[in-house]
Amino acid sequence: MRRLLPIALIALSLGCETAPATPDAGMDAPPAPPPPPFVPAPVTLRRLTQSQYANALHDLFGEAVVVPRALEPDLVREGSRAVGASDTSVSARGTEQYQDAAYAVAEQVLRNPERRAALVSCAPSGPGDMTCAATFARAVGRRVWRRPLTEEEVTRVASLTARAGTTLMDFHRGAEYGLAALLQAPDFLFRAELGVDAMARMGERRYAGYDLAARLSFFLWDSTPDDALLDAAQSGAIDTPTGLEREVDRMLQSPKARRGLRAFVSDWLQLAKLDELSKDATIFPSFSADLGASAREEVLRNAEALTFDRPADFRDFFTSRETFVNRRLAAVYGVQFPVREASATQFERVTLPSSTPRRGFLGSVAFLALEAHPVSTSPTLRGRFVRESLLCNTIPMPPVNVNTAIPAPSPALRTLRERLGAHVAVASCRGCHAFIDPPGLAFEHFDGIGRYRASDNGVTIDASGALDGRPYRDAAEFAAVLHDHWQLPECMVLRAYRHAWGQLESPRQREETQRLQERFIASGYQLRALLREVALGENFRRAAPPALTPDGGTP
Amino acid sequence: MKALDRRTVLRGLLGGAVVSLALPPLEAMMNRSGTAWAGGDAFPKRFGVFFWGNGVLPERWVPAAEGASWAPSPILMPLAALREHLTVVSGTRVATLNTVPHGSGPAGFLSGDNMVSNAFTRPSLDQLIARTVGSETRLRSLETAVQQTTTSLSYADAGQRNPSESDPRALFNRLFGEGFRAPGEMGMADPATGLRRSVLDAVTAQGTSLRSRLGTADQRRLDQHLESVRGIERQLQRLEENPPNLAACSRPMMPPESVPDLLGRPDMATRSRLMSELITMALACDITRVFSHLYSESVNNVLYPDARAGHHQLTHDEPGEQPQVFAILQRIMTDMASFLDGLRRVPEGDGTLLDHTLVLCMSDCSFGRTHSLDDYPILLAGGRSAGLRRGVHLRARGENASKVSFSILQMMGVRAAEFGVGNGRVTDGLGGLTA
Repeated sequence: MRRLLPIALIALSLGCETAPATPDAGMDAPPAPPPPPFVPAPVTLRRLTQSQYANALHDLFGEAVVVPRALEPDLVREGSRAVGASDTSVSARGTEQYQDAAYAVAEQVLRNPERRAALVSCAPSGPGDMTCAATFARAVGRRVWRRPLTEEEVTRVASLTARAGTTLMDFHRGAEYGLAALLQAPDFLFRAELGVDAMARMGERRYAGYDLAARLSFFLWDSTPDDALLDAAQSGAIDTPTGLEREVDRMLQSPKARRGLRAFVSDWLQLAKLDELSKDATIFPSFSADLGASAREEVLRNAEALTFDRPADFRDFFTSRETFVNRRLAAVYGVQFPVREASATQFERVTLPSSTPRRGFLGSVAFLALEAHPVSTSPTLRGRFVRESLLCNTIPMPPVNVNTAIPAPSPALRTLRERLGAHVAVASCRGCHAFIDPPGLAFEHFDGIGRYRASDNGVTIDASGALDGRPYRDAAEFAAVLHDHWQLPECMVLRAYRHAWGQLESPRQREETQRLQERFIASGYQLRALLREVALGENFRRAAPPALTPDGGTP
Repeated sequence: MKALDRRTVLRGLLGGAVVSLALPPLEAMMNRSGTAWAGGDAFPKRFGVFFWGNGVLPERWVPAAEGASWAPSPILMPLAALREHLTVVSGTRVATLNTVPHGSGPAGFLSGDNMVSNAFTRPSLDQLIARTVGSETRLRSLETAVQQTTTSLSYADAGQRNPSESDPRALFNRLFGEGFRAPGEMGMADPATGLRRSVLDAVTAQGTSLRSRLGTADQRRLDQHLESVRGIERQLQRLEENPPNLAACSRPMMPPESVPDLLGRPDMATRSRLMSELITMALACDITRVFSHLYSESVNNVLYPDARAGHHQLTHDEPGEQPQVFAILQRIMTDMASFLDGLRRVPEGDGTLLDHTLVLCMSDCSFGRTHSLDDYPILLAGGRSAGLRRGVHLRARGENASKVSFSILQMMGVRAAEFGVGNGRVTDGLGGLTA
């Protein structure tokens, strides 16, 4: 069995001052000592991300409910919204927005007879019927808060509902206030999965029942548990190995699992940034305001296809010539759109021509346009993305008080590669840029928006190089080299771990990430198998008690 | 003006809301604390940050002459007409660690500490001030941006950033939409207001019971949320009261639903004008006394008209004297001058809104190309009532920039013995900054 050198150690060997930056290890995993036993991290409160908030409301009240889009932004920490969710709170403005959204949703739900009937099972005897209000609070509260309410909580929500009903002389108008309270409570906005004391392991917490249901559903569905999952939590079925497996497989078969996958892939590849994609339209005539959204959809459809529709080795995500395009993307890629009459949102499967080195995700507009400047390419941004997001390498911050200017084009320095080469000649820059820039230069055949070009400034492009010892001639060969790089599956596992746990892994959890990696490899790099392995793993149900520090200060 | 019918009054009373009626003139002349507005400098003291990303060109930023005889430098030329209202502070350095290009400067200057995990570890200057001067207004503070972004330099606490609003229509609706009353307008009793407050009480009760089961760090995060919930309770309360009778307050024009790009480039000048008008009226109507306004974010790559690349890329890649970076800075200064001039055009007592507003204008580093934090670019504007010594260029070579932050705290009436930690810590202000 191969042992893996922890990535942190490799990162340590990379100083900006010290060359060479490229690890000698090359493409094969260096041997590593066996990891120490898994020690769980303390439980944390996670705030719903924007997508979890919207998904939960849709699942609770129907797809047709309009959820306001102006919401507290997600916090991205260490390149991850899932990690940021364990660290963020709600600002004054965000609280206002949650309030507005709660009333907007409550109104849509309770003034619509069909939706109302699904929530209010009793016929109120009057506008302030406390018994019916309690029935309402108990039933809806369990779904919204993902757990049964205590009697005190039922009374709190019910008396609010009844009082508002009396004031407004209408029980169901009153129920809007009860529902708005449920939706504004921290019990909905935050995931308080705090676990219970573990009997088998002293000093540890264990996720069971409703805690486990929520943990699974936000991981696999990016949303709140459905009634079946809550029932499995209530009955305890979810706490048995067969019951858990049944639920996890049911969840992975549900169309909602596609949302869960989309959330993971969006977070991993930072696709949210596509919302702000901005290009100089005079340089890139094929740029349009909706190009970013199209590019994101292409990537997510490819990920879905490889995970669910035609399950395959997920590393093909980086090498495939098959992709999904709409008319806009077809124009950038120079392929014929297969349908004559099509709307802008219609996507079709196409095969990219073999005449260009465009392959997989790194040949997509999502990567090529996002990791570039508004007017030009940026090998540094593209290389950094490959290093940080796909190989989980650590790149130090650039030093301060150095001249960061790249020389202007001149007869001696014609292409960006040549100009960057001059930059790398500076010793203080070389350590990092010799590590970052070469993978980015592999994509110089694609301009700042992702369109193929053969030359830069009149000079034929040279996209060759070597990635950690393996040579390539162009982006197509680079994709093949990346496909076989040992750090790619390891990095995917780390990203999945952060997404599932909402925390950065530490050496104390390496046993689990290593186990996941072995299982991922054994499955033939099937992403669905990895997600299932995370969800079924015993360590996903373990946690340490909440951390208490005397001064309450920041660490 | 809407009339109240008997039924509305009755429902309002049932809902627990205070029914607002036109008040006798005497009371309408008073502010909430009961001190008269009419007494000139009894107008509230306001504070705000005006920030732009990517630094300056130091040699063309720092004025040549010092003291009162200074003349605007090339970059500051668009502000020439406001010269008597400005104080340029040059030569200070941010003394905390410069580890995050574009991030360490604002963190060090506004929070007095290093940047950790790309966030401030302490509350930002505007929030420290809001704790003192923000308790009487509907909003304790306001965070806004010209560039379309939600980032900000306003931190309520360690890692807890207040997002910016950059959509002018959304900002208008928040400030002047439902519930807002200009002075003299009569309020409609709304039973919903009382009910909404009951809902917030229930939310707070839920939070309190959750809190006891959390770890220390999570308790702080939840406390922040519950503090925000109390913030909206206060807003509802303020909306029920009669607005302060500030003569300059009126409902501004509703901005367009969106501001279209010009040839694929953001129309920063129009966006800036719309946001400036709303912030100005939010201050004039005493909706808030503290703002943090981001013209553009750190490392922004905004494409300005006539520029051949994005702002950040130009700061690094443009060779020579960087004429395009210079032109961008002049555009920013022009829009900043319009903002400050807008404050000056609002009369308040025997002065103007600008006299009663101390504005800290700043960027994230001095020289964008090198990310240097020496000779940090600081410009103070307005602030007559706060006691700012105006119309001077103060050359404070080598001084800790935190001293400027400390002076601002003092001018705004915040009682503090120190500001910042470690190298960012100071216990006194910058000499010569106050009148």
